[in-house]
Amino acid sequence: MEKRQKRRVWLVMAALLFVAAAVLMFAGQGEEPAPPPLEVEFPRRMRQPDRERAERRRTQVLPTPVSADSGTVAERPRPRDPLLAALPRGEGKTAVIIEANALRHSPIGGLLMDCLMRDGGKQLKEFREKSGVDPLQDLDRLVITDEGMMLSGNFENARFKELLGERVSADYGEGARVYEAGENSVTRPDGTTVKRRDTSAIATWNNQLLVVGKSPDEVKAAIDRVEGRGPDEPPAISESSTYGEMYGVLSVEMLSRLIPPEQAALAQRLRDVAKNVELHLDASSDVALVAEVRGPSADDVTDLGKSLGAALSLARIKAQAGEDKDLAQLLDFAKVKPDGDSFTLEMAVPLEVIRERLAICRENRQDAEAALEAKEAPREAGVEQAPVPVR
Amino acid sequence: MSPVLGIAGYVLREAASRKFIMAFMVGLTLVLAVVALGMRIDVIDGALAASRLFGQEVRATIQSVDVALRPVYQASAFIVFYGGILFGIVACSDFAPSLMSPGRIEHLLALPIQRWHLLAGTFLGVMTLALGGTLYGTTGLVLIFGVKTGYWTVGPLVAGLMACVGFAAVYAVMLTMATLVRSAALCAAAGFAVLVGGIIAGHRQDIAKAFEEGVSRSLFQAVTLVLPRLSALAEAAGDMAASLPLEVRSLGTLLVGVFVFGLGALVVGFWRFEGKDY
Repeated sequence: MEKRQKRRVWLVMAALLFVAAAVLMFAGQGEEPAPPPLEVEFPRRMRQPDRERAERRRTQVLPTPVSADSGTVAERPRPRDPLLAALPRGEGKTAVIIEANALRHSPIGGLLMDCLMRDGGKQLKEFREKSGVDPLQDLDRLVITDEGMMLSGNFENARFKELLGERVSADYGEGARVYEAGENSVTRPDGTTVKRRDTSAIATWNNQLLVVGKSPDEVKAAIDRVEGRGPDEPPAISESSTYGEMYGVLSVEMLSRLIPPEQAALAQRLRDVAKNVELHLDASSDVALVAEVRGPSADDVTDLGKSLGAALSLARIKAQAGEDKDLAQLLDFAKVKPDGDSFTLEMAVPLEVIRERLAICRENRQDAEAALEAKEAPREAGVEQAPVPVR
Repeated sequence: MSPVLGIAGYVLREAASRKFIMAFMVGLTLVLAVVALGMRIDVIDGALAASRLFGQEVRATIQSVDVALRPVYQASAFIVFYGGILFGIVACSDFAPSLMSPGRIEHLLALPIQRWHLLAGTFLGVMTLALGGTLYGTTGLVLIFGVKTGYWTVGPLVAGLMACVGFAAVYAVMLTMATLVRSAALCAAAGFAVLVGGIIAGHRQDIAKAFEEGVSRSLFQAVTLVLPRLSALAEAAGDMAASLPLEVRSLGTLLVGVFVFGLGALVVGFWRFEGKDY
């Protein structure tokens, strides 16, 4: 009898243990699906959407050249992208293209818009009314070069004459107008106006391109390149490198200026070893950057890659020690891939990290928009209540 | 408690006399020695700059050493977890059946100990063996990579201990099976069944979607609710080894849950053993 009772105790105990195990495992694992692992896709090559985009941009057809000696017509040139044609030529030049429209419609674009429109979009509205250009709709690409800046898009509604009225302008080439240096009227906050001499020059081309340069010669040279009168050298960025939301080449000189002063030795090393740096930034989901550094000596370039990898690793350790979680997370994806006379540096910032950092912009924008609406509401109400004039 | 320890010691002596367990330890030592002697790792300021295995470059990417070693530790954790359980099933499947073999069981039952002491002692002995092997392998791995890279982490050790908890649940079922049928093959089969069931139970939410809503899905969910969630534990061990954030809600609760399942299975064995005539 005692044995049977003892056995029953074991059985009850086993049942209780199984129930407890089920409850504990249910609570421990959780029933909600695990979030997908953090993965970042790096822009390492052209993808199908990039190819299609490049194809769509081949809109310029140059006239077919005719040989002066024989009078025979040469092969018809392939259509090309006028913006790429306008880029500076030769090695060691800087040209970085920002796909403004693509960036605007990316997840990070939405966040950046919140920051740009922290005043509720007041300044943007003023600019739109004054210039006739809506940067959110009409601007396609923005290029930063050593000499200045280029913008591509639809500038048909732009009021260049009103904007650049006091400059001397003249037609140039087949479809360009160059606005040379002149005086600008600037309105001060107190309402008085002052005249300022602006030495820069601006050129427009077929309402598609806007070139801003330091001198008229520079902008004319860009127009020459677009219209096929430039040098035969290939542009700073080839069509096969037009992938990502920001891409281009940076001269080593310019890149070393971007490195903080405490890393002066690294900047000097970069100047000594590297020839140029090609950048690609993808913002279609997370923000991922790939930079390819190339130089004449494979050994020196590999050593530079190792130094850079070590610097990034140290920065990550410091960030972890200083509990800068965001920076440590950013550097988690940082890696250097040596490949003979070049190496590739990859870095990424998860979108969630940027979203957290820029959350304040959204709050400010919402507050500003609410304030603007509140300001306009009584005005509209007043209009409705106004008495109908009696004739 | 001392009779349980006595039986555990008896099981350990039995294990030491078995050649293939000794061969396993020698093999493990050889693997560790090969990794230690054949691998060359260059670390510059905490970045893994290059690594070579027997002179062949195996990694060309330069990145933080802990990030670079994550896949290594994660893979090791999975090998220790699943490989360890599989080896344990094969190696320990005939411990209990041989203890209960005719002639031997009568001798053991004649000792002044309770019947459940026999099973608890066998369980403790096998778990001591599993723990020793796991700690030996993972400590060796941590030491080798720690010395070579200067990056020290207890993650793989903790992952190894988690694997032991997983094996405890599996072996408890095997031991209980031995009280039902005195067969090493059936014990091993029961172990495999729990392992497969445990892998399914860890992914029960995803798999449940494949069942039509209604009785079949509810039945599947009810059965897998009780099974030890081994795959969830293995993934947590991998994350722990690689110092990654855990996907499970509470690792401690999950671990205790799996261990309590093992105790439950063991207690069923006690119940069966108490009522069996030899």
